[in-house]
Amino acid sequence: MIVIVATDDKQGMMFNNRRQSKDSELRKDILCEVGKCKLWLNAYSFGQFEEELEKNVCVAEDFVDKAGAREYCFVENLSLQEYEERIEELILYKWNRVYPSDLKFDIDLSSESWQMASTVDFVGSSHDKITKEVWKRV
Amino acid sequence: MCRGIEKLKLGLLLVAGVVTLVGCGAEVSTPAAESSVVKTVEDTETIVEQMIEESFVSVSENETTDIESDIDNESQVELQDSTVALSEEIGIISGNVDTVITEEFPAYVGEPFIVLNNNIPLFAEAELIATSFEYYSPLDSLGRCGVTYACIGTDIMPTEERGNIGQIKPTGWHTVKYEGIDGNYLYNRCHLIGYQLTGENANEQNLITGTRSMNVDGMLPFENMVADYVKETGNHVLYRVTPIFEGDNLLATGVQMEAMSVEDEGAGILFHVFVYNVQPGIVINYADGSSCVGETVTQATVTVPNAEVADQPDNEVEVTTPVVEQQDIVVGTDYILNTNTDKFHYPDCRSVKQMKAKNRKEYTGTREELIAQGYDPCGNCEP
Repeated sequence: MIVIVATDDKQGMMFNNRRQSKDSELRKDILCEVGKCKLWLNAYSFGQFEEELEKNVCVAEDFVDKAGAREYCFVENLSLQEYEERIEELILYKWNRVYPSDLKFDIDLSSESWQMASTVDFVGSSHDKITKEVWKRV
Repeated sequence: MCRGIEKLKLGLLLVAGVVTLVGCGAEVSTPAAESSVVKTVEDTETIVEQMIEESFVSVSENETTDIESDIDNESQVELQDSTVALSEEIGIISGNVDTVITEEFPAYVGEPFIVLNNNIPLFAEAELIATSFEYYSPLDSLGRCGVTYACIGTDIMPTEERGNIGQIKPTGWHTVKYEGIDGNYLYNRCHLIGYQLTGENANEQNLITGTRSMNVDGMLPFENMVADYVKETGNHVLYRVTPIFEGDNLLATGVQMEAMSVEDEGAGILFHVFVYNVQPGIVINYADGSSCVGETVTQATVTVPNAEVADQPDNEVEVTTPVVEQQDIVVGTDYILNTNTDKFHYPDCRSVKQMKAKNRKEYTGTREELIAQGYDPCGNCEP
């Protein structure tokens, strides 16, 4: 599966059961990236996409377990460590900000298992610079 | 509109002043106190009417939370009337008259903040009105800031870069540098409500002396989160920052931060934290803000307002902050004087390095005092 996450400068993802931030341009980029492929997410994440999603979206609380090979998972409020072996590719959006966090992105991308394939910056609707990194398993 | 503003002053002082904060050593804010409303919105009368007629009345009459329900009417009255006693242990009245709770919380152990009351702020439901406003308490008799309170909306967020705030010297201020601190300066002029939220520049009622760590590691992430949420959604966030002073201390022990998004009733933003005014590796004397390098040598318990600490089994929790014996304190020098040119400089000004020793004199005091003595500020460092 291809996992999509968004983090702050300290690997944070959530604080007090709420996403640290959101941006409509980031959502557009995700949908552009996913294209016609299947996108898995849970009800919490579906909440911020509701008016923008098409039929290739699957909502389930165990969405990470259900996602198959080359299918996308947008993960906001889960630890990913236990799923690392199944992740073929990671798309990491960085807010380039520091927010409070109590749930962090917990895959070590500095390990030999991962290699950055590309990085690009774009302007968000409410963020000056969002960085998109694509990491592939070595 | 004038009448509306006056009503807003009264309403906000009632909501956010009288029933909000009694800092230690602070005087109780009264409706007669000078108002600090800097900006208002067009429908001020609506705010006031809603706050007074809906929130205020209903809150004082019957609205309670789980926490509040533990406080009987008698103890509430005692707390409201006993400001002296409250001052002695940093009693705070926050949010409304039914949420008067005095708590203590844990010592700083390396994290910039702790969660209070399971991250639930103590706003009354009726305070959640999607109309922007901002309020800054008058300084108390010691010159210290009090509660700051706002409903953040895009209409009051800044549209320009932040201006100069160097002319403000909050209580406990020292211009002092240490190796190993980001930017080297121990203290920042720390906005209670961040500039990116309400665009307040040199408002002395919104600036306290805060460590670099409290400012950047503690408060800024929360400010970022609120600012970006408001910009992205166009929604409002009710936001309150309360500086906590122990006794007559001039330096705050920390700040209590509460926030709740209005339109989605906290689904987007909801937090209630205490941020420590500490700097790792530096020992601070909170009485006057003086400091030195060193480890904590003793600890003092500080009582802090309003809430339970998350994951604590009961309400009896403590916070401790480092203190040292007075003789261990290295008092910071505010300015360097050149007795030959009658100029005064910040200690790190490049002119100081070129100054002859016989003309150099260290000075601890205020800018105004020096000007009154005939000294002029340096044109380079602009103290």
